[in-house]
Amino acid sequence: MALVPFSYNLRSMFVRKSATLLTIVSIAATVAVLCGVLALEQGFDSLFKEGGRDGILVFLRPGASSEGESYFPRDRADILIKSCSEIEEGADGRPLASAEMYLAVRLKKLDGSETNVPIRGVQQRSFDLAGEMMTFVSGRRPEQGTNEIAVGRGLAGRVQHCVEGDVLTFNTTPFQVVGVFEYDGPFRSEIWGDVDRMQEALERPIFSRVIAKMRDGVDVTAFKQRLEKDPQTPAKVMTETEYLSGQTAMLSGMLLALGAILGTVMGVAAVFTGTNTMLSAIASRTHEIGILLSVGFRRYSIFLGFLLEALLLGLFGGILGSMLSFFLNGVETGTTNWNTFTEVAFAFRITPNLLAKAVGFASLLGLLGGLWPAWRAASMKPTDAMRRQ
Amino acid sequence: MPLRLVFRNLTNHWVRTLLTIGSLTVAVFLLCFLRSVLISIDSAVVSSASNRLISQSAVSLFVTLPLSYQGKIDQVSGVAGTTKMNWFGGYYQTQENFFAQFAVDADRLLPNYPEIEIVEGSIEAFVQNRTACLIGTNLRDNYGWKVGDRVPIISALYPRMPEGAWEFDVAAVYHSNRDNIDNNTLFFDFDYLYEAIEADQADGPEGVGVLAVGLRDPGDAEKVSAAIDQLFENGPQRVQTTTEAEFQRQFVGMFGNVPLFLSALGMGVIFAIVLAVLNTMLMAARERVHSVGVMKALGFVDRKVAALLVLESLTICLIGTTVGILLAMLSEKGLRASPMGVFFPGYRISGGTVVLCLIGAVVVGLIAAAIPASQIQRLRPVDALRSEG
Amino acid sequence: MSEPMIQLSEVTKIYTRGSEKLVVLDRFSLEIEEGEFAALMGPSGSGKTTLLNLVGGLDAPEGGDVWVAGAHVSEMEGQELARWRADTIGFVFQGFNLLPVLSAFENVELPLMLTPLSRKKRREHAEYALELVGLKDRAKHRPRQLSGGQEQRVAIARALAMDPKVILADEPTGDLDRASADQVLDLLEKLNREHGKTIVIVTHDPSAASRAHKIIHMDKGKLGRIDVNPVAVAGS
Repeated sequence: MALVPFSYNLRSMFVRKSATLLTIVSIAATVAVLCGVLALEQGFDSLFKEGGRDGILVFLRPGASSEGESYFPRDRADILIKSCSEIEEGADGRPLASAEMYLAVRLKKLDGSETNVPIRGVQQRSFDLAGEMMTFVSGRRPEQGTNEIAVGRGLAGRVQHCVEGDVLTFNTTPFQVVGVFEYDGPFRSEIWGDVDRMQEALERPIFSRVIAKMRDGVDVTAFKQRLEKDPQTPAKVMTETEYLSGQTAMLSGMLLALGAILGTVMGVAAVFTGTNTMLSAIASRTHEIGILLSVGFRRYSIFLGFLLEALLLGLFGGILGSMLSFFLNGVETGTTNWNTFTEVAFAFRITPNLLAKAVGFASLLGLLGGLWPAWRAASMKPTDAMRRQ
Repeated sequence: MPLRLVFRNLTNHWVRTLLTIGSLTVAVFLLCFLRSVLISIDSAVVSSASNRLISQSAVSLFVTLPLSYQGKIDQVSGVAGTTKMNWFGGYYQTQENFFAQFAVDADRLLPNYPEIEIVEGSIEAFVQNRTACLIGTNLRDNYGWKVGDRVPIISALYPRMPEGAWEFDVAAVYHSNRDNIDNNTLFFDFDYLYEAIEADQADGPEGVGVLAVGLRDPGDAEKVSAAIDQLFENGPQRVQTTTEAEFQRQFVGMFGNVPLFLSALGMGVIFAIVLAVLNTMLMAARERVHSVGVMKALGFVDRKVAALLVLESLTICLIGTTVGILLAMLSEKGLRASPMGVFFPGYRISGGTVVLCLIGAVVVGLIAAAIPASQIQRLRPVDALRSEG
Repeated sequence: MSEPMIQLSEVTKIYTRGSEKLVVLDRFSLEIEEGEFAALMGPSGSGKTTLLNLVGGLDAPEGGDVWVAGAHVSEMEGQELARWRADTIGFVFQGFNLLPVLSAFENVELPLMLTPLSRKKRREHAEYALELVGLKDRAKHRPRQLSGGQEQRVAIARALAMDPKVILADEPTGDLDRASADQVLDLLEKLNREHGKTIVIVTHDPSAASRAHKIIHMDKGKLGRIDVNPVAVAGS
């Protein structure tokens, strides 16, 4: 026969602390998941936003919202480059501009499944314009006029044949990989090669865009208006920053919407858990409350007291959840950019701003959970409270 | 077995019970939604026709095939018929009014797609009138278009020159009885598109997007695919021919990790619910100590007394889940008709989803009750009666 | 002479709290006959409640034997013990111990749910028990709607529902005013004199003790003197 513990030990079996803990964990889980989704969105978004420069101009066909929809016939691209005085000239007197071809091609991933990878046919100037954004981690630039290509770091380790020395075939033509580059922006998931050779291989003699260095002091807005109406070379022009920012709209929107839905659903569960916990805590302290009220404490101070307790629950939950989500920071992942239908690789990114939002949200959850119980506590009649349950 | 105790205990703390049920309802609603989204992503694949192949560029989704290819494919043994299909990429008035449009061989569409049934207007009008279009019943309902109306569509891929919208006359309305063709599509004559480009009234890539190939015998799929691809091995554009299911699947694949991601999120939501129910059951157990002691003293067996708590947990979970499912079902039509519905044509709450949710409810109910029920089971009446709980 | 209804033989009960051992009952022996009304009295900590728990099979001794109604209670356990307790013992606790979520009637009916009796039969038994304690008109009330004395009488009705041989009551009048206490005691006396129930109560109340046939004094887990109440014995 088991030995009998005393009844006050009984309480340790049903520890009241468990409710507090569960509430904190519930809020923490909500925050962690929310942070995860937001970090995904932030990683994706910042890859694009920070990958753009204000001094670089991007020209698209009028009406196109991305390179995939845009094309210039060769002659139009040439005329555009030559005629725009807003484009700076290089040391050799020629415009610092390049016409590029963009196409999402089907390639196989290492796991055998198919994916869409952006390839960019470029003129040599494109490498110059890339400047410090691009560094070669192995190999070198492809030579002009050859079937050489360089692949972005984001593709290495995910897509087949994206290693220096390997060969990728586009349509019926093989191209040699001569280098791997890192780029401080979405181009790190692209393959670059000579535009003429690529156009030939793909039987696609069109350019998608023109990229150029802007002269200092140019009024971009005025430039935009002028080009839109230009009969010879109508085009849509914007800074690279503006262009890249626009490319994230769809996926960012989806991720933010997803975050909102999740935050709401899990948040509701967390708030209700919190309310139950606070109600229980108050129920066990009615005697205390009755005494406080009869001694002369004002109702609002009781209200605030419990509200504060609930807020603290939320705060702890928020801190815990944020800490949990830190494991994601920097984790590389990839997803489809819905604007261009191509896969893009990026890392989860947790920013102080994000954390602040998360902790704020958690505190709000705690507050919401405690609102009604605190009001109930404050509206108790002292005589009812003092009466033994 | 005093089952009425289950009911009484739940209603004794009806606020707590309702809040817990509320968490479950919201969470289950979301889970139904997520699962149905996943199913609908797959539905196009699942309901693909078995006797149809799609021939597309092996290089890229965005590369067109020469017009001459169609005649050659028609000659391949085993082919019953072909039709061109070009993605038009347009919208009606504003970009939010997004739906699919295809330029097709007007006279070959229906023979190749028996899923399409004409419910209003006439197919002859569609075939004979160059500028005619065939719209789905959803388009008719959402935009109020009727046979005889003129509908303006702006296309990003094939912009009118110098600017403006394409205009189509509604000749007929169709309804598709399978998910591989949704009721949100607009079909028009390929020749209209081709002639406009030739006449410089519109800009855009010449050539065919994809070719839908009908098979005489579904068993010939592999043989015919190989034969077609073989024809164009050496170019000018390499071709990849797959079953319609495979073709649809490539779009599903673009969702990439989304199914995995959504499942992971589902786990997070379930975790939150388990916490909520567990918290409630622990509280219930805590308050019940004295009553448990009485019942055991009266002669109720340990397991039976514990079982009452388990039944309470199951009741809460089943009620919450059922309400959640009902809400999801009620919102089904609304979601399908909304703008979001375009992306998920096969969205419906399936019987499988319902069963899964109910099973999940039972599992969650059992998990949440496990600890408190075992505490109750092991409780000795002497200790329980001694406490003031 | 027939077997005693309740027989404790050299019963020892020890509580362990951490490293401390507390001997609550020390080789305690006692016999109570069928139809007797016994009162256990003594200072707190003398082991009265523990004794009652042992008799009712709610606890088991470290040493010695407990026999009740021919059953070797100290050796029984699990479902067998539970069933025996339901059939043989009616408990009345100090704190009334009615389930707050059930009505008076439902509380009385509760132990009957352990039996295979039909709903109709259960109803009959419960109504009879409630009538016996004079609270048939309060059948539908919840415990919080009853006075202390009424609650206790419902608890007694519940104890009677299974028609037990033995009724064990721990401080049945402890929380009641004089009038209610007397009502409860009258009831217990009636059950003993008219219905032949063997009753053992733990009490501090001399008035309660005066109803008993014998008063058993306990101190520090040992048996003290036993007072026989001639008036009560004569009246039975």
